[in-house]
Amino acid sequence: MSTISRRSVLQASLGLAAAAGLSRPYIANAAAKTASVWWTQGFIPEEDAGFEKMVADYQKVSGNRIDYSILPFVALEQKMVSALQTENTPDLIAYDGIQTTMVMSAYANKLVDVSDIVAPHEKDIAKVALQSMKLYNNVEKRRAYYAVPFKTASVPFHVWGSLVEKAGYKMSDCPDTWVERWNWFKPMQAKLRADGMRQIYSIGLQMTTNGPSDGNNLFHYWLLAMGGGNIVTPDGHVHLEDPKVKNAVIETVRWICDTYKGGYTPPGCISWNDADDNNGFHSKLFLMDLDGTISTELAMFHRPEDFNNCVTLGLPKGPDGKPSPAMVGAIGGMIPTAAKNIDVAKDFMRYVIEPKVNSDFLKAGLGRWAPIYPQQVKDDSFWLHNENPQLARHLTPYVEETLLGASYPDYMVYNPGYADVEAQQVWGQTYASVYKDGMTPEKAVDKAFKQVEQLLARYPTTA
Amino acid sequence: MDGSAAQVVDVGARFDVRPRIRSALWLGLNRADAIWALAFLVPYIVTFVLFVIYPLLYGLWMGSKPSLYTDLFSDPIYQDTAINTLIYVLVGVNLRMVMALGLSGFFMRKSWWTKPLLILFILPWAVPALPTFLSIHWMLNGNWGLLNNLIWDVTGWNAPSWLDERSYALTSDIVAYIWKWLPFWTVIMLAGRMAIPRELYEAADVDGATGSRRFWHVTFPLMANLYLVCTLLGMLFTMGDFTTVYFVSGGGPANSTQVLATLGVRDAFVMSEPRLGVAAVMSAIPVLVPLVVLLMRRVRAAAVER
Repeated sequence: MSTISRRSVLQASLGLAAAAGLSRPYIANAAAKTASVWWTQGFIPEEDAGFEKMVADYQKVSGNRIDYSILPFVALEQKMVSALQTENTPDLIAYDGIQTTMVMSAYANKLVDVSDIVAPHEKDIAKVALQSMKLYNNVEKRRAYYAVPFKTASVPFHVWGSLVEKAGYKMSDCPDTWVERWNWFKPMQAKLRADGMRQIYSIGLQMTTNGPSDGNNLFHYWLLAMGGGNIVTPDGHVHLEDPKVKNAVIETVRWICDTYKGGYTPPGCISWNDADDNNGFHSKLFLMDLDGTISTELAMFHRPEDFNNCVTLGLPKGPDGKPSPAMVGAIGGMIPTAAKNIDVAKDFMRYVIEPKVNSDFLKAGLGRWAPIYPQQVKDDSFWLHNENPQLARHLTPYVEETLLGASYPDYMVYNPGYADVEAQQVWGQTYASVYKDGMTPEKAVDKAFKQVEQLLARYPTTA
Repeated sequence: MDGSAAQVVDVGARFDVRPRIRSALWLGLNRADAIWALAFLVPYIVTFVLFVIYPLLYGLWMGSKPSLYTDLFSDPIYQDTAINTLIYVLVGVNLRMVMALGLSGFFMRKSWWTKPLLILFILPWAVPALPTFLSIHWMLNGNWGLLNNLIWDVTGWNAPSWLDERSYALTSDIVAYIWKWLPFWTVIMLAGRMAIPRELYEAADVDGATGSRRFWHVTFPLMANLYLVCTLLGMLFTMGDFTTVYFVSGGGPANSTQVLATLGVRDAFVMSEPRLGVAAVMSAIPVLVPLVVLLMRRVRAAAVER
C-alpha cells in the first residue's frame, strides 16, 4: 500500500503547476474567437433577456463566443474605471450611465476608433446619436467615432393623470408651453391636500447633488427650453458670455429655486438619490416630474391600474414658441485599446448595430430605450402605434421626443470638462447658493460660470 | 593518533562548521523541515505582496503627482469635506467609545436577561451594512420616512427633514455610524472588563469604594490602555469610512456632508479620475501617520508594562 509522504505531496503540487503552465497556450488559443463583454443590467428583466437572446443569435451566425457579464450600472462604472486605469480591460463595454468614462477615455486615446463600423450606417443614424459618439482625442488631435451607438433615451414628463383629475383638472387642458405647463400643476397640491392627501406635492424637482444624472437632466432641459442650448458648442468651446445663454441659466435657477421656496416640491428633493424620485413618484408623493426614459412607467407594467393612470408627455414649446429641444443620451459599445480581441468585439458591435437586430433587441426591452434609426420608428408600428394601447400611450410621446424632434447631445461629448461640471454637480450647488446661502440667482450663476470655465479649460480641444 | 589520512578526515569532520552554519541559517531547523516551512510561508508571502504591498505601492504611485493636489484643493467643496471628516471622526469615534465603555459595564450585570439582551444588541453590527444604511436613508426621509411619520402619528408634530440640512444630515451620518459599530466596540470593552481580577474589586469594596469611585479608581485605570488603543484604531478605520455617509446622506444636501472617502470615490469613479480619487484619500495622510505612530507607541508601551 503506498503511503502519502511530504515528498510525494510536493512532487504532485509541482506537477500540477507545470501542467497548468503548459496547458495555457491551448486555453489562450481557444480564446482567440471569444470576446469578453461587460453589459449594463436593465431596469426590467425583459431588457436582460433581450440582450441574452441577441448574444445567442450572434454566436449562432458568427461561430464566435461572447463571454459576457451583466452588471448593475454602479458596479459596472467602478469596474470600468478600474479596468481602464490598469489596462486590464474586457473587449467591449456597454455602459448605460453617464458617459464620463467614455469621453475621458477617448480624450486620452484609450478607445479604439470604430468609425469603420459606424460609417456604413451613418446616413441612417440619428444625428444626435452620431454626435454623442464623435469624441475628441487629445493625443491625435481629432474627432472620430469612439463608440458604436445602439440605443437612445430622453427625459419625458411623467404625470399621475388620476391625481390631476382628482384635483379637478383635465389633462387635455395641460398647456403646451414650457413655463406654463410647469406652473399649471402648482395649484393642484392645495386642492389635493384639502381632500386629505396631506403629503402631496405638485412637482418632483430633482434639485439634488446626489445620484448621477437626475439633477443635471432637470437643469439641461430647462436650459434648452429657455434658449441656452449653445452653452457649449461642438468645437468644445464654452459660451458663457452669450447673453442668451446667461439669461437662460439665470431664469432656470430662478424658477427652480422659487418653486422650491414656494413649497411646491418635497423639501427632501435636494438630497434625493437616484432611486428617490422614482420612489416618490410611485408612492404618489408628487403629481409630476421630468425623469429619464419611461422606466417610471415600465416599473408598473405588471400593475395595470397604476400603469394606466400614469400619463407620459413629450416636450412642449419653449417661451420663444419653438418646440423645446430634448437632450438625448445615446449609449454606445466602446472597445478599449487594451482589449485582446478587438476584431471579435468589433464584429459583435457590427451585428448589434444592424437595424433588424437592433430593433428586435430594443423591442424585447419593451421600448425603455429608443432606437438610433429615426426611419425605423416610422416604419415599425411598435414604436409609434403599438398594438398595446396602454403601452402606446407611454411609448409614442417618448419616442417622438427622443428621435423625431429637435435635440442636443450631452455637452460632455463636445468637451470632457463638462463631464466634470456634471460630476461636481455645479448646477445643484448653484441652487443651494440661492436657497441655502441667500445669493441672488445672478450672483449664484456668476459663481457657477467661473467654476465651469475652470473645468472646461483643463480639456482644450482643437477640433 | 598517528596522523594518518583517516584520522585527518575524522578530525576534519568533527570540526566542520558548515552543517552548523546551514542549520543556523535555517533558524535551527533541519533541511527537510526548513523546506516545509518555506512551502507553507511562500503562499502567504505571495498573497501578502500581491494583495497588500502591491496595491499600497500602486496607490501611493497613483497619488504621487503634485498637480493632483492642486486640482484637489481647488475643488470648492474640498475644505468643507476635510472639516466634515474631522467632525465625523472626532465626534463619532469618541462618542461611540464613551458609550461602549458605559454599556460594557451594563452588560457585566449577572441578571438572567443580560445575555439575551447582549445578543440583540449585537445585531446591528451583524447585519450587512449596505441595506441597513439604505433603510436608514429611507427612514429619515422627511416625507415618506418611517421616523417622521411615527412622530406625526404620535405627537402631531412635523419633524424636520433630517437629510435636508447639513447639521442634521451630518448628525444622521454620525448616529447611523455609532448605531452600526457600537456593539462591536462594546464587546471589546466588555472583554477588557472581564479581564480585570475580581480581587481588586473585593479589595476596593473593603476600602469602601463603590459606584463611580470603583470605576474611576479601579476600572478605568486598568481599561485606559485598551480604551486608548481602541479609540486610535477606531479613528483610523473611520477616516476611510465610505458606506455610512454614501448611503445615509449621500454627501448631501448640496455636497455639504461629503467626507474624504466619498469625495475620493466621486473623483475616482463618477469623474473617472482614479488618480484624483486616490489623492483625495491620501490627503488624510498627515493625520493618519501621527495616529498610527501614536497607536504603535501605545501598543509597545502596553506590551512593556506587561
